[in-house]
Amino acid sequence: MERLRSADYKAPGGKLVRIRLKEEQGQIRSVEITGDFFLIPEESLGKLEKMLEDVPLREAELRLLMDRFFRGTGAKGLGVSPDDFVKAILSAREEN
Amino acid sequence: MNMAVEEAIPRVVGEGKAPSTIRFWHNANTIVIGCFQSAKLEVNMEACKETGTEIVRRFTGGGAVYHDSGNLNYAISLRKGHRLAPDHNLQSVFHRLSEGAVEGLQNLGVKAEFQPINDIQVDGRKVSGAAGSIRWNAIFHHGCILVNSDLSILGKVLNVPRAKLEDRHVASVQKRVTTVRDELGRDVSTREVRDAIVDGIESCYAVGVEPGDLTKEELGLAEELYQTKYSRLEWNLEP
Repeated sequence: MERLRSADYKAPGGKLVRIRLKEEQGQIRSVEITGDFFLIPEESLGKLEKMLEDVPLREAELRLLMDRFFRGTGAKGLGVSPDDFVKAILSAREEN
Repeated sequence: MNMAVEEAIPRVVGEGKAPSTIRFWHNANTIVIGCFQSAKLEVNMEACKETGTEIVRRFTGGGAVYHDSGNLNYAISLRKGHRLAPDHNLQSVFHRLSEGAVEGLQNLGVKAEFQPINDIQVDGRKVSGAAGSIRWNAIFHHGCILVNSDLSILGKVLNVPRAKLEDRHVASVQKRVTTVRDELGRDVSTREVRDAIVDGIESCYAVGVEPGDLTKEELGLAEELYQTKYSRLEWNLEP
């Protein structure tokens, strides 16, 4: 069964990351990441959302994927780190 | 159209077809949301309808800001590699390119200081927020200064998430912002603040600022961006 999950995560000393995701059997079906952070290039956020589709909603897999995304795209965040994105997504799992 | 012009200038500056530029402008009642924000989550749509507030999305990240005629917006566009932003690091860009505005505000008598990540504050209260990007072979930095804005509308039209207020230990968005007018304790026009910022920029960066109009190319590109992007609901309101 597909479940909608959401969370707001405030990065320590940084910005707000808002997660809205659809989860099914422990996997992310789709995710929308919004917030007041900075990410350059801006278009890379859509790529991250796409990469997260069908990924298990588990810390180890999310860390690996985030690492691959930042290394692969050369994207740079300000007010948000790769670790913050992982924590924000995990907090959606925990809050609902 | 203001958002379209905002994007057109750094694109043309990045192509080397226009000089380094600072643009000053203001909007009537408008919420400007960051490019990664959700309009539905950040904005109180009902309050916007009641107060006649429009919603537009900018091409840079960061948070939502409320604009009215008591705001002064400034935007700095430099070609990549410019001496004022040599290292292409967004945090350094915010710091360095806020310094001119900080100096201008200080010269007016406002105890302004840059507060990372992207604010100018007075005694812990925000008087200006900045956003920016590094793209199109350009460095772009824009800021929104609350000169004599109506903070009561700001509190109604923006939904500030609880997580954010709690983190800053304040009860409402109104309590964590201030205006140049309130800091000076007198009426002040956006023009007076603009002139002070121009002086601040000239002395802080050792540059001369000359008045000018948009080039034909900037205007043409802005028209195109307005038609294809900034006038469209799918850009402004989705997600």
